[in-house]
Order: sequence, then C-alpha cells, then structure tokens
Amino acid sequence: MAAELTVLTGSDERDLTRLEAYRAIGGYRQLARARKMNPARVIEEISKASLRGRGGAGFPMGRKLSLVPPAAKRQGPAYVVANADESEPGAFKDREIIRRVPHRFLEGCLIAAHAIEAEAVFIYIRGEYLAEALVLEAAIEEARVAGLFGQVKVVLHRGAGAYICGEESALLESLEGSRGQPRPRPPFPPVAGLYMQPTLINNVQTITSVPAIMELGAERYAELGVASAPGTVVYSLSGNVNRPGNYELPLGVTLRELIFEFGQGIADGRTLKAIIPGGSSVPVFTPDQLDVQLDFDSVQAAGSYLGSAAVIVVDERACMVQLALRAEKFYMHESCGKCTPCREGTRWLVRLLEKIEAGDGTQGDLDLVVDVCGRIEGKSLCALGDFAVWCVGSYVEKFHDEFQRHVDEGHCPYGGESSTDGVPAPSDQHTHTAMAQVPA
Amino acid sequence: MSTPELVNVVIDGRDIQVPKGTGMVETALAAGVEIPVFCYEPRIGPPIGACRMCLCEVEGMPKLQTACTMTATDGLVLRTAQTSDKAADGQDAVLEFILLNHPLDCPDCDKGGECPLQDLTFRWGPGNTRMHFPKRTFDKPIPISPLIGLDRERCILCYRCTRFSELVAEDGQLVAVDRGAQSIIATFEDEPYRAPLSGNVIEVCPVGALTSMTYRFRARPWEIQNVPTVCGLCPVGCNVWATTREGKVARILSRNHPEVDEGWLCDKGRFAYGHLGAEDRITSPLRRVRRRGFERVSWEEALDEAERGLHEADGSVVVALSGGETVEQATALARLVQDGLGSRAAFLPETFHPALERFRAPLSAIRDADVALVLGDHPVIERAPIVDLWLRSARRGGAEVITVNPAGTIPTAPGSAPATCAQLAQGDPPRELRNAARSLKRAKRVALVWSQDDSTGGAHVLALAQSLGEKASVYFLPRTPNGRGVAAAWRAAAEPPAGELGGLIVSGDEAAADPRVQELAQRARFVLTTAMFENEVTLWSHVVLPGTSYLEREGTTVNLEGRPQRLRRAANPPVDDEVAFFADLAGRFGVPVDPWAAELPAERASLPPRSEGNGAIKAPAARAAGRPGKGLELVRYRGLFSGAAVERVPQLQFQRALAEVEISAADALPRGIERGAPVRVSSNGTSRTLTARINRRLRAGVVRIEAEHAEGLAGRVEVTRA
Amino acid sequence: MAKLYNRIQKVGAKYPQRRSAVMPALRLAQEAHGGWLPPEALRDVADALDLAPAEVEAVATFYDMFNFEPVGRHLVEVCTNLSCALAGAKQVVDAFESELGIPPGETSEDGEVTFRLIECAGGCGYAPVVVVDHLYREPTRPEDVPGLVEELRGS
Ligand SMILES: Cc1cc2nc3c(=O)[nH]c(=O)nc-3n(C[C@H](O)[C@H](O)[C@H](O)COP(=O)(O)O)c2cc1C
Ligand code: SF4
Ligand code: FES
Repeated sequence: MAAELTVLTGSDERDLTRLEAYRAIGGYRQLARARKMNPARVIEEISKASLRGRGGAGFPMGRKLSLVPPAAKRQGPAYVVANADESEPGAFKDREIIRRVPHRFLEGCLIAAHAIEAEAVFIYIRGEYLAEALVLEAAIEEARVAGLFGQVKVVLHRGAGAYICGEESALLESLEGSRGQPRPRPPFPPVAGLYMQPTLINNVQTITSVPAIMELGAERYAELGVASAPGTVVYSLSGNVNRPGNYELPLGVTLRELIFEFGQGIADGRTLKAIIPGGSSVPVFTPDQLDVQLDFDSVQAAGSYLGSAAVIVVDERACMVQLALRAEKFYMHESCGKCTPCREGTRWLVRLLEKIEAGDGTQGDLDLVVDVCGRIEGKSLCALGDFAVWCVGSYVEKFHDEFQRHVDEGHCPYGGESSTDGVPAPSDQHTHTAMAQVPA
Repeated sequence: MSTPELVNVVIDGRDIQVPKGTGMVETALAAGVEIPVFCYEPRIGPPIGACRMCLCEVEGMPKLQTACTMTATDGLVLRTAQTSDKAADGQDAVLEFILLNHPLDCPDCDKGGECPLQDLTFRWGPGNTRMHFPKRTFDKPIPISPLIGLDRERCILCYRCTRFSELVAEDGQLVAVDRGAQSIIATFEDEPYRAPLSGNVIEVCPVGALTSMTYRFRARPWEIQNVPTVCGLCPVGCNVWATTREGKVARILSRNHPEVDEGWLCDKGRFAYGHLGAEDRITSPLRRVRRRGFERVSWEEALDEAERGLHEADGSVVVALSGGETVEQATALARLVQDGLGSRAAFLPETFHPALERFRAPLSAIRDADVALVLGDHPVIERAPIVDLWLRSARRGGAEVITVNPAGTIPTAPGSAPATCAQLAQGDPPRELRNAARSLKRAKRVALVWSQDDSTGGAHVLALAQSLGEKASVYFLPRTPNGRGVAAAWRAAAEPPAGELGGLIVSGDEAAADPRVQELAQRARFVLTTAMFENEVTLWSHVVLPGTSYLEREGTTVNLEGRPQRLRRAANPPVDDEVAFFADLAGRFGVPVDPWAAELPAERASLPPRSEGNGAIKAPAARAAGRPGKGLELVRYRGLFSGAAVERVPQLQFQRALAEVEISAADALPRGIERGAPVRVSSNGTSRTLTARINRRLRAGVVRIEAEHAEGLAGRVEVTRA
Repeated sequence: MAKLYNRIQKVGAKYPQRRSAVMPALRLAQEAHGGWLPPEALRDVADALDLAPAEVEAVATFYDMFNFEPVGRHLVEVCTNLSCALAGAKQVVDAFESELGIPPGETSEDGEVTFRLIECAGGCGYAPVVVVDHLYREPTRPEDVPGLVEELRGS
C-alpha cells in the first residue's frame, strides 16, 4: 500500500536535515500560516484532526492544548516541552524522526508554542542520543539564525540515562534539576508543569505530526488512519523478523501486515511465538492475534496497548521465563525508588523469577508471582509500576505451561538452548554508585 | 481574611463539613476516621504520595487514590480500608512491601512503643512475610553525625528527613542517593550532617531509622515521663517536652506551638541538656576563705555570709543580670535590692523599647507577610534559628525577603541597619534601597526583623515600623533568652556608679562572662555570685551559690515576641534554686517575697494583644556606616553553638563555629586565596590563622568571623595568604 | 576550575532557573575530570550553582551516565534488553568478555576500555546494539568484536 506520509514525508527522497532542503519542500510555511492565525484557531484545527499522543497514552493533543490557560487568563509564562526521552524497550522511532526531519519537528514545536503563546520550548532528549542531539543542535542553530524562532526561546536539554525521565512529571523534575521522580497529579502539566507554570508536554512524533495537520487540514488528515485514531504513525518493528526497522503507516494496519508484509516474516522461516505490540511495557499477544489492528482502541480491545507502537517479534527459540526475568530486571533497574510498591515489588519479582528460571521455584513461588503482580498494579505513583507487571503478568497468563514446566521439571525446558539463555542485565554488574548494598 | 467556603464530604459513610481544600487525611480525622500515613507530614511541604500507605477508594475513580494528596471538594465520597475491601487490600499490599526489608527488631529499637509502623503491623500487618529472600542488609546504625544515628535497614524511604533538609531547613545536606531499590539516605561523602537544625530529622522519621546518639538505648517509653516546658537557650523560647527518667533529663523533644516554633527545634535546644550533669558544675554553696580559695558551706551559712556582706555594703549595691533568669528570679532580686538594700543600680544585659508592644505579632505571622525586611549584621540563624525557618517558609510561600547586611540581598556596609531604617522611613532612599522601599509601600503585611545588638532597644526599626503603620510587625531579636522579662522586672534601673562598690550581686554565668561585669567585680568590696560553673567572676566572689538551668526552674520567661511562657522544673537542681535563696535573703532585710509566682502562663501561652499608643518614636541619629581606613572591615558575630552549656556537651563540639573567615570572591581573588586555604587575619598587633570560606554573596571589603575566632581582632583587618 | 565555573554559569543562563543546569553542569564536570565525577567535581558543580554538594550527588547518582569511579579511555556499552537479547546480545557480551578479559562493569587492566551493559539504547531495529564512546555501532555481531577491540586499542 502506498500510504501518504505525514511525519517522515520526503525524507526517503532527499536529505531534509538542512534548512534549505526542508524549506524547498515547503518547510516552515505552516508555521508562518499558524502565526497569522489566532492561537485558538490553531488549537481548534489540531483538535478537529483528533491527533492522539504518540508517546504511549494516546491522549488527544487538542484536549491537552485547550487545558492550558490562555495567556490572558494566566500569570507568568507557559512552556512547551518536547519529550524526546524515548527509552521504551522496542521503540526507536523518535530517534529516526529527529535524524531525518529535525526541522519538521522544530516547526511542530514552534506551532505548538504559538498555540499556547509559550515563552520557550524545551526539548528533553535522552542522553544516549548523542548523534541525534548534534543533528538537532545544528537544526536549532540554522533556524535561530534564520530568525524562525521569533520571541520563542528553544533549549535542548540532554538527559543522562534514566527511563523514568520519559514519564512527563519525572521529566519535568529532571528538567528542573532534581532527581527525576514523578510528581503526584493533579495538578497536571497544562495547569502547573515546568517551574509550576502551564506546560504543554508532548512526544516528538505527536509534535512532528502537527505541520502536516496544518498543511492538509483537519479533514484531510482525519481521512488517514482510523476514525478513532487518525493519521499515520511510525511503527518500530524489532525482534526476530527479516526486515526490522521503522515503518510509517496509517494507524490501523494489522500485525500480520506489519510483520509479514513490511517485516517480511520471521527470520530463517522459524515460527512465531509471541508479539509484544507496544513496547516491552504492554501485555503480550500470541500468534492467534495477528489480525489485531494496530490502533489505540483495537489493541486495547484485544487486551493490550498500542503504547509507543513498538512491535517486538518473538520466535520459538525464546524462553518466556527468561524473557520475563530480563524485562523485570529492566523495571527494577529503572524504578525511580520513590513509591513503595514499584521499588520493593519489582525487586521481589526479580528474585522470584530468578528462582523459577533456575528451576528452584516452587508452585508457591509461581503463584506468588501472579499475586505480587496484582499487589503492585494500580497502586504505584506512576505507570511504571503497572508496566512492570503487565509484561510479566501477561507472560505467565499466556504461557502458563512454560512457567509451570520450569517448576515441575525443575529446569528450563530449553535446557540452555533458548535464544534468551543467560542474557545478563545491567543490574547484574556491580553498580558504580554502590553506596547501597543490595545483595543479589 | 475571608472565611473559606465549606464543602460536604462523605467518609466511610459519615457526612462531614470542612473548609474547601482541607487535606483528606485531616478531613477523615475530623470525621473520626484515621488514615495511616508514612510519607505525609504537612509541616514539611506539599504531599508527595510516595509511601502509598494512605490508599483509599474514591467514588467515580477506577484506581485507588492516595488520601494524602487529595483535598476536600464538595460531594467527594471516600472510603478507607475500614469500609472498602479494595482499599484494605491496597493498604495490606503496601504494608507487606514496606515490611519486606524492614527488620522486625521492635524490642530493641528506640522507636519501639512510639512507632506508627509497629502499630500498623499489629493492627493489619501480615504476621509473617511471604518473602523468603535475604532482606536488604546494611551496617547497623552508622552515625551521620555525633548527634544522629542512621539505621538503613529500618529506613522505609518516606523521604521525610530529606524533605526536611531540602524544604524546611534548606541546608540540602541529607539526601537520597542512587535510584530504585538501591536508593539510600546519605550525606555528601559520608561527611557529618552539620547544620543547626539537623536534629529535627530524628523526630520526623516515622520509624526508628534516625535516632538520637545521645538518647539511644537510654530508656524505654514506659520508664519515662514527659515534662512540658520551654527552651531557655535563645529568645525564641521553643516549646519542648523534657523527657525525664529518675529525675534526670534524658532527651528534649519538640512540643509544637504553632505560633512560635511549629514543632521544630535547633540542635542547641535539643542536645545541650547534657550540661546539667557536667562534672565541673558547682553543686553546693561556697564561701571564700583567706588564701585557701573556697570552702563548701550550708545554705544557712551562705545566707548569713551574704546578709553580712550586703549589710556592710550599706546601699552601694549593684546587680548584674544575665537575661536568662526567670521573671520571678529577676523580681525577687529587684525586691531585695530596691526595697531591701535601697539601691536601683543594675547592669542589664539588654534594653527594650516600650513601643515594641505596639508592633507585636506572633512569629508565625512572618509567614503571612508579603514582604519581610531583615536588618542587622548578625546572621538570624545564629541568633534565633527558628526565626530563620519562618523567614524561609515565608519566601517559599512567595513573600519577598529582603536582607540588609554585608551578605544580604542588599549588601550594605557593616553597621548600616540604623541608617537604612532612617532612609526608608524618611521616604527618599538611595538607589540601592528604592526597590525595597517600593515593596514595603505596596505590601499589605510587612515583617521587620532586627538582628544585631542595639543599645536603643529597637528604636530605629520601630521608627520605620511607625512610618509603615498598622501593617508592620517588628521582631526585635535580643541576645538573651529572657532579657525582655528581666528588663521589665527592672524598669527604673540606674547605671552602676563609678568608684568603689559596696557590694555586687552577679546573677548567672552569662553576666559573669561579661568583661564589664568582671570590671565591676574588681572594684566591689563584696561579691555574691550565682553560677552553674566556675568562671572569671567566681574567683572574685565571697559567696557563690549554685546556679540552676532553665530545665531546673519553675517560673515565667518572656520570649522575643513578648510572650510570657511557663518554665517547669524537669530535673532537680543540686540545691534549692535562686528564687528561694533571694526570697530568704530579702526576708532578712525585712522584705517579704513570695518565691512562687502569683499566676503562671498557660502550658501553651498566648500572645498579649498589641498595646495602644501613637506617640512619635524617636531614634537617635544614625552614624554613617563603614569606617574609613585600609584593610577589610571585620564583622564579628556570636555563633549559635557557643556558651557555657554548649561547651560542656561533647557531642555538640562539631557544631561549634569553624575557625573560618568568610571573604568575598572579589577580595579573595587578588589575594590569591582559594576555597579552604589557610589565611592570616591581623589587626593592631594580634593575628590569627583561619581557613578561608569564599562567600560569593558577601560585599567586597568585608570579612566575617565568629566571635570565638575573632578574639583580639577589631575594626579593620589585614587578610593575607598564610 | 575557574574555567568550569564560567562554563557552568553560561549554561545556567539558558534556563529560567539556574538549578536546571545541574545535569549539563555535571556533564561538563565529568568531561573536565577525565570521564568520571570525583567528589571534587561534585563540589565544583555545587559551588557554581549555589547548591549543597549533597544535592548535586543526589541528582548525579540518579542517572546511569554519570560515573563515580575512574573509567577507561574508551567506553564500550552493550545493550541486552529484549530486542537485542532476541538478536543474540549474549553472544556479543561473551565476545567482549573474552576479548577484553574482564566481566561487564569493569575496566581493562591497561585502563584502556571500560565495558558495561546498558538497558535499551533505542536501536532495537538494528540489534544487537553496541555503543562505543557514545556512538552507536548497529548491528554488532560477535564476529565483529575482535576487530572492534583491536581498533580501540590501536587508536
Ligand atoms: C515510565 C514511563 C515512561 C515513559 N516514557 C516516555 C518516553 O520515553 N517518551 C514519551 O514520549 N512518552 C513517555 N511516557 C509517556 C509520557 O508520560 C507522556 O504521557 C507523553 O510524553 C505525552 O505525550 P503525548 O501525549 O504526545 O503522547 C512515559 C510514561 C511512563 C509512565
Ligand atoms: S511507580 Fe516506580 S517509577 Fe513510578 S513513582 Fe513509583 S517507584 Fe517511581
Ligand atoms: S502518606 Fe500518602 S502516600 Fe505516603
């Protein structure tokens, strides 16, 4: 299917990283148009397009925009914060967007800034993205010199390695120079965000979709994708497929299309075992769910979440217990430590899964895994606690036999032959900030 | 202030009306429902919803909510663990998670019996945890300072202590490091937590993780008795509980007076009680005997000797007061000397302008001010630490806090405070004061804080207050704890005469430590001294009576607000106290004095109303600040951790002022002086070697040194690299 | 360290509140101190931003990219999160372990290379991902490792 693009548009044909190249294809015209429009009109347009957030929650950007008190009704400045912390295992789309269309992303930031009459735009990019930060820095410099910022200040802020800083309130804490730990909400960022001022915070891709909406108009844009979620999205496809990579497609393609047409199927003709449809944090799918459409509502109806549209394909060689353990080590490592259930619960789950994986697990241990997941879910301060149990919980549910065999047979059925056997994790190596002594 | 709108809330089926915005934990309490909390402590700052212990079910919300982060809105229906299985399950889960790594060693934990976690565990808690993996292990209590022990195994990471350090004291020294399950509470590089208010973290800790090194394993809650009294070590007069065991003080805890201290104490008030048992304490009356120094005598013999000496003095008697006496002590002395011996001559530590009563306000009102102006070269935190907390709280609440001193937001030359008041009062201030003047004008409520010694008793700042009118409150920070009460008892006092004195009565160690009093002693034929410890003056004395500590006295003390507060005897003095002695003595001179105060203030004293009166307040003309001359101008101040009591508590020594000189970056650079470098400070002959502390806020041309380390230095000093 | 002080002031000026500059400041300090943050570096940052050293340590230790022990001249990081694990990250880790003769989390004897594991680096489509001195090598297969180590030792 030759789909119309709205995010990476034009970047296949030519290098759009330079300002003149982007301008040559009409870049920044929508910004100029928007700036001639009344901010309320811009918000209206984006709302009409019912663009849903690409950062994970799928919250309508228009609604967020209209939650920000208009300049007349607020004291002090408002800010736009672009969330470029992309750290969800399986996701690598924002990185590609920044590398290929940095100026479209900036144009989106500036249109959003106009919509809420923001004083400054802060771009929080994960620290590991050095090459991407350099691309952005260059683009920002070009745009500044070209006078495209007007009164708006644009600041590029690099993270330093913490998944939780992708969570919006933790990101704001981090940006304010504190430990990146989530805040209780309400108040929500549009009301009290950065420095407690009204703040619009959106994902890179959400923001980069804005120029296309302005260009096509809400109606035309809404024709793409599905009614409940218009537009295109960049799917990150990874794992055991022949052609992994980013694919920008209209929302609503099926898993089958993505994996078998675009991804050209499972590597080496192996059989499909599991699919993680939205990044490591969401409940897992089984092969019988290949026809689920990849849009927010369809995936949710099928029992998972589209999340960051990062699809991880797992073939027959993987041991789900090992995969669960590896995933949980990630959440334990990334738990910010602020709230009790996540901080203590993830550590407990890791211990239990280690035991089961080693073949020393009892029936009680396996039941306890399920129970502990239930005790964490819905009780933590931010969603990381939920993420940490959705994955493991769904693995146990959907692949219960495999877990059961570890307990019954006292060893991994794969007998060391699995693709995931003995995969080490950062939390296994001795920490360099080791004032804390947490026994393994 | 307008009365807030009332809203209807339903908690566990009970209807209750509370002001809109009331915290749900408080709202529930008002409805008679207790919601368990750990991280929630409103005095520390906004709720953080971290521990999750307060999870409740809220109608219309799918997920459990933390009550601590919610406020009352009309029609809110909340169900706690007591009526909601979902909430009960949530709390049970959280409690199990908390206990995963918490040792159940309650029997030998200092918190045992006073621990919310222990109570909860008994009420709901899972008898035996289902975690069969080794708990987190750490070295058992490590000292984070000579005063505070930290047991990381007991820590439940509620972040109360770190938030106190960050958001209340703002010293930023106690923090959480690392992330996730590895997070621990720590100080920088395991250096001691050295800050004037550090001890409060012991009290905010909801479990036994932070404990007092001076109290640990001393007593069990059921062996002790808590006496409500008032701290007598600075003019704030924080309300405290003196925990006693077998007639001895075992610890000091805060006794929250919301208008005075909000439940905070400085480390001096919390830990200095150790001096009561100092072995060099004078424990019996002493009489001077020719060449053999002193001999112990009985109470009666001491009275006889005192009577004889004062009788021979016939009328030429002077009294030197400390400013730490109770009102009753000062009054008994006044009656004895004025009515019995016919003298009015007294050496008073401080004077107080009567108009202070006209601009009186509770300390808590500092937080409600929109502008606070702090005048004077003496750091507020060294003089009255709790006032510093109120000022910080005001700033966090959005008030503009203007400080006028060499390191202030308006960095002025030393000694500028009087002139500044005059300039602001007259209304045509110099450029550097214009913004301040504008703010004062615009403000609806102004707090004026005076923080340095002042022979006029506050005339300058009062004159400024008068120019601002009703909206101004004046907080005049004296040097002594009850100087105000003592001065009141000695209103018509006369200056000590010149030449030989018949007799001198020195009341207390502070007076005895004053060089001017020592000078009086040298020209007195007879000297009667009451003191806790030997000092320069006792050597000149003929009779020495054991002095008592504020923890050993009954009576009244008046704090800097002018609030009379009640002191209670928590520990027994070595012999009967000063009031009894001077009452007896007065009796011998035909003046009946009732040692027991007529009526004492309430346990939680209220502040007398502002007095009327609108006579113009005249302040003496202020001399132009800044002495001319070469070298840098020296500002010396008395550190909080100084004095006879502090000197006798080993665990407090690390808190005493370091041998440092604060120097501005502008003066340090040309002299090649770097952070931490040794420097020589000298003036007229004397010279001292101190460590350099670069203070980027300090005005160029000024250095600041704590008095103890500035001995012999005065006026302008030369500063060079050592 | 006056130079570092001034650079931090410059970064601080970009933000409405100077404290926001603590992360960039730590990065500058880490560069200035040869790739890691000795206590002195934390003190410098605290001094420049008017914070207590403990506050700076609290922030620094929260993030994975700040080091509190000396590091090698080169930094080799291997992602072992799900997508990379499925693509054989374990074998890549083993290859580095035997080539460098150290387990992950350590620095080679000669102080040349620090080798560590990292969580998802955002290269899942090009797994297994190896990051060398902060630049991605995607994908890196076990057989590429000897040459890569060679190259590092040589440079
Ligand atoms: C633990 C956690 C990690 C997150 N990581 C990211 C991230 O890396 N990038 C992102 O855009 N949103 C992330 N989010 C979602 C953000 O909190 C927020 O919803 C999003 O940035 C809003 O932007 P959007 O409305 O455009 O999606 C994360 C959320 C959680 C709970
Ligand atoms: S859920 Fe985890 S990451 Fe989120 S606040 Fe709680 S501890 Fe932090
Ligand atoms: S008391 Fe509410 S979360 Fe801790």
